[in-house]
Amino acid sequence: MYALEINNVSKIYDNKFTALNDVSFKLAAGDFVGLLGVNGAGKTTLISAVAGINSYHGQIKVMGIDLQNDLVAAKKMMGIVPQEIAFDPFTTVYQTLKLQSGLYGVKNNKSWLEEIVVRMHLEDKINANTRSLSGGMKRRLMVAQALVHKPPLIILDEPTAGVDVEIRKNLWDFITELHRQGHTILLTTHYLEEVEKLCNQIVMIDKGKVIARSSKEELNRKANDMPTIFEVETKDGLFLDELRSLVVATESNKYTLRLANNDQMMLVLNQLMAGGIKIENMNISKPKLEDIFLNYLGH
Amino acid sequence: MPFIALIKKEIYRFSSIWVQTILGPLATALLYQLIFGHQLSSVSTGIAHINYATYLIPGLVIMQVLLNSFGNSSSSLIQSKYTGNIIFILMAPISNWSMYAAYLISSIIRGVAVGTAVYLGIVWFGSFELQHFWAVLYFAFMGAAITGGLGMIAGILCEKFDQLAGFQSFVMVPLIYLSGIFFNIQHFDPLWKSIAMLDPFLYIVDGFRYGFIGAANFNIIYGSLFVLVFAAVVNGIGFGLLKRGVKFKH
Repeated sequence: MYALEINNVSKIYDNKFTALNDVSFKLAAGDFVGLLGVNGAGKTTLISAVAGINSYHGQIKVMGIDLQNDLVAAKKMMGIVPQEIAFDPFTTVYQTLKLQSGLYGVKNNKSWLEEIVVRMHLEDKINANTRSLSGGMKRRLMVAQALVHKPPLIILDEPTAGVDVEIRKNLWDFITELHRQGHTILLTTHYLEEVEKLCNQIVMIDKGKVIARSSKEELNRKANDMPTIFEVETKDGLFLDELRSLVVATESNKYTLRLANNDQMMLVLNQLMAGGIKIENMNISKPKLEDIFLNYLGH
Repeated sequence: MPFIALIKKEIYRFSSIWVQTILGPLATALLYQLIFGHQLSSVSTGIAHINYATYLIPGLVIMQVLLNSFGNSSSSLIQSKYTGNIIFILMAPISNWSMYAAYLISSIIRGVAVGTAVYLGIVWFGSFELQHFWAVLYFAFMGAAITGGLGMIAGILCEKFDQLAGFQSFVMVPLIYLSGIFFNIQHFDPLWKSIAMLDPFLYIVDGFRYGFIGAANFNIIYGSLFVLVFAAVVNGIGFGLLKRGVKFKH
């Protein structure tokens, strides 16, 4: 059974704007999937459809439950952290989580609530009114709210925006732990290094369409096939004439080469050494997820 | 149970600001009672043995029931929209029916709670014994259900606080003031009486006052049926808007 199935989902607003165009992908139980896309690509529209807030054409299933057949049952299976900061100004941190638990029909979960408060580093604010929390704290509270019912599917829509580095790391440690315990995670973020580090699958979306869906291993293989920037500094600035066509920049004894892939880089390195060129320094800029992403977008 | 949780949340919300939600209406009713009850003590109520101060008490009580029931659902929804917190309700596993019923019941609870507080605060200014307790309860609950439903409609349709203020100024206040809270409409001139007869709140106030003093301007059975039908229509519209996700969902 898939944790999340999105089958041919489209969303056209009243003004004829197509926000989602026949989007399909699946998350197997236990996946940690990064959903990437530029602003306005359709990520939040898709998450709102999964949350049951946006209408759509197509089919969405959560833990095998079709949203259009039993929305209430499907909603119990997921915890969603929305992108926009939202809070109840009348309650404290603990009351917010207690009321949220009630909305999911969960009782007697005091120890779990206390644990997530600690894991979200909100223990000092447990009895503070939500109005007194900083933006980062409010966002962490929203993450805690999504977890009160220990949902099998956790959807995080840019959960770390405005959260400082140390607490972001702690948050990811906790989410990684939940993932290890079997929770399925769908994450959107602008911090591509987070996706690179955490996710085993990546879905790229642009202009409402899925433009790529790969495992991290496939993306790494793709990275190997992408142009590599190779900087080499040689003794006395010596260089092989037959390789000069690959040079895109020269600065004193340093040559910058643009190579088709990693394999070509190895060939160039071997040629230089065989040609008696002494290498004093070198630097390889491997394509990052961002480069792969931009490559998919056609930039 | 999500339905109960949402009711608890709403009750917590209005009780946590009790100075504003309970004490404020009580103070307003006391002022009305002190000023109008005293200054207009010679005004005829048109009902034997019922002086103006006594006549005014049920009117002021039901006015606060109606206003506070409206204020609860409308302000809760608009505040939730403003802070974005509504998303946690929309994402929660709660059906449209349960969500609507929870907001409506919370509004009725607030309206009746404030009405009770106001009654206890101003009952000392009059002299009567409850004549028909069923009518007091029935018209209080039905009145609160009607204005709670109107509050749902306003809360769903309005996107800003000033739009809600407009709804209060141009819909609620005229309906309240024409409903015979302060005066017996039999004493209105013919034009205003004809206009007041179109005010559905008139039948709520008349029935509620009947419970206190045992006299009504209209047939109490027809009045009871009318408010029942009106409550069903208002809440049918409110539920329809919520179900369609007007201004909430896209």
